[in-house]
Amino acid sequence: MTPAVEVNGVGKQYGSLVALDGLTFSVSAGEVIGVLGPNGAGKTTAIRVLTTILPPSRGSLSVAGVPHTRPAEIRRLVGVLPESSGYPERQTGDEYLRYFARLFGQSRPSARSLAEALLTQVGLSERRHSLIASYSRGMRQRLGIARALVNDPQVVFLDEPTLGLDPAGQRQVLALVRRITAERGATVLLSTHLLAEVEEVCSRVLILNRGRLAAEGTVSEIARRAAAPRSARIRVAAEHVDRARATLTASAGIEHVEPADGQLGSLIAMLNGQTSAIAMNNGLRALADADVPVLAFELEGARLSDAFLAMTEEA
Amino acid sequence: MASAAATTRALPQRRTPGWVIVAEQELRDLWLGGRGLLLSFAFSVLLSIITYLTATNQALNFLEQRESVNVTLQVAIAVGSLLTLLAAADAVSGERERSTLESLLLTPVPRLGLTAGKLLASLSLWLAAFVITIPYVWFLGRGVSLVGVALVSGIVVGTLLAVFLASLGMIISVFASSNRVSLSVSLFLLLAVFAPSQLPSSAQKGWAGELLLRANPLTAGEHYVGKIVVNGHAWSEDASWLISPLAAAVLFSVAAVIVGARFMRLGRSGT
Repeated sequence: MTPAVEVNGVGKQYGSLVALDGLTFSVSAGEVIGVLGPNGAGKTTAIRVLTTILPPSRGSLSVAGVPHTRPAEIRRLVGVLPESSGYPERQTGDEYLRYFARLFGQSRPSARSLAEALLTQVGLSERRHSLIASYSRGMRQRLGIARALVNDPQVVFLDEPTLGLDPAGQRQVLALVRRITAERGATVLLSTHLLAEVEEVCSRVLILNRGRLAAEGTVSEIARRAAAPRSARIRVAAEHVDRARATLTASAGIEHVEPADGQLGSLIAMLNGQTSAIAMNNGLRALADADVPVLAFELEGARLSDAFLAMTEEA
Repeated sequence: MASAAATTRALPQRRTPGWVIVAEQELRDLWLGGRGLLLSFAFSVLLSIITYLTATNQALNFLEQRESVNVTLQVAIAVGSLLTLLAAADAVSGERERSTLESLLLTPVPRLGLTAGKLLASLSLWLAAFVITIPYVWFLGRGVSLVGVALVSGIVVGTLLAVFLASLGMIISVFASSNRVSLSVSLFLLLAVFAPSQLPSSAQKGWAGELLLRANPLTAGEHYVGKIVVNGHAWSEDASWLISPLAAAVLFSVAAVIVGARFMRLGRSGT
């Protein structure tokens, strides 16, 4: 099967500034892939190159099987929510969608019914005749996603769709992203700063740093590759701290244990990188044998956020 | 499940050309959004004042009837075409500033179509200005068989100048880093184009003076209208004065469409 997105050695340069450098990856159809990276990593540039807004300086790419040398064809097959997209304040949501539906080739009647269906899908049907000026930020983002779907795209690019939204707004947008893949079977490239979003909805992750691909894989694969030293945070009752510390220190695979700064009853156990999982199991078992009740336990260095920080800081 | 192959989804074929859809929407935004109405109202207030002054001068025999029609018509042409310049100067830089340009560029409508649609919509301001001018010209020119001639010369010259200035505004808007820059540069250039008409009459004489008047589309167009309306010349008698307005309209409109198609971009931040 042709990949939905295929990128081979793509670079983008503005004068002496290298925005993208030798980007190579592919995305299968129907996949939700997260594009992560710190500010200036090249996420937005990568999306603009993939959506034909910017031509690549070198390399080749294809979207939905269409090479980048045929940009007009690609634009017919992709839906895009650009970063910080603006909206015409004096149009209603309905007018806005009908306009874009017509630009994508729909007749007036079909543009009308399409706008109605999309507004219902994104939960804006009751506000379809209100001016966009009166929409909240979350409503505008959902309207933007509806606009990205007017051409029934095969690949949807969402650049920071939850930027500036409150938690409820973020949940609504993420629910929409899931529906796009579940109901339409579209491939989604989700660029974001929020790692929790990626862990929640993405099957795979690309981490960009300084225009280069720093890591690629599933969330768990990338988390496993984290370069940060592994440690565990354990919380016990304050009266058991000394006993817990002694028990853990004596446990195999735990290199040393120290109290967590300013947190009564919390200990940080530094684990041997090679056998960290076994070491922690041993430690917990030893605590149980020593009758030390564990109130909370968290393995650090095994999360996507740790991997992200390790990979982007390292580079 | 969607297949990634490009051929699997039946995409609708556009029945209406993209530039028509863009022009329709721009017209709706301009007129239903209120900006066009506001500019037209300001235009009609200005024209009322000019007409009142010329009618008063005419009544006091300071101005002949033909001259009063000419003054009003020339103001209408100048200000009407200025309105198109203002609308066109906002066309691309305004979209860029409101962060709405990227969504437009992501549609399959070619950039040439986007430019043409926006250009046509901005010209509607000149047409509205001309319609507003008709009763004023009729009021001043009634009784001397002047109204028809004045209006025909006005629409011809005014349309040529409006196309020229709207195209100039569009070109500036495509390259301007902000809307403010676009409007400032457009107004500055308009003043530069108008400047020769304010030269003392002695400076407008001789071959150099005439060349300056003929080469400048605005002064040449207004000179042609004056010859028809004030001096009662035949249409063809001074047709050579229409060369520069016609050439400017054709060249600048072609340039605007080409520049728009080639250089319409997100700008420095979005490169």
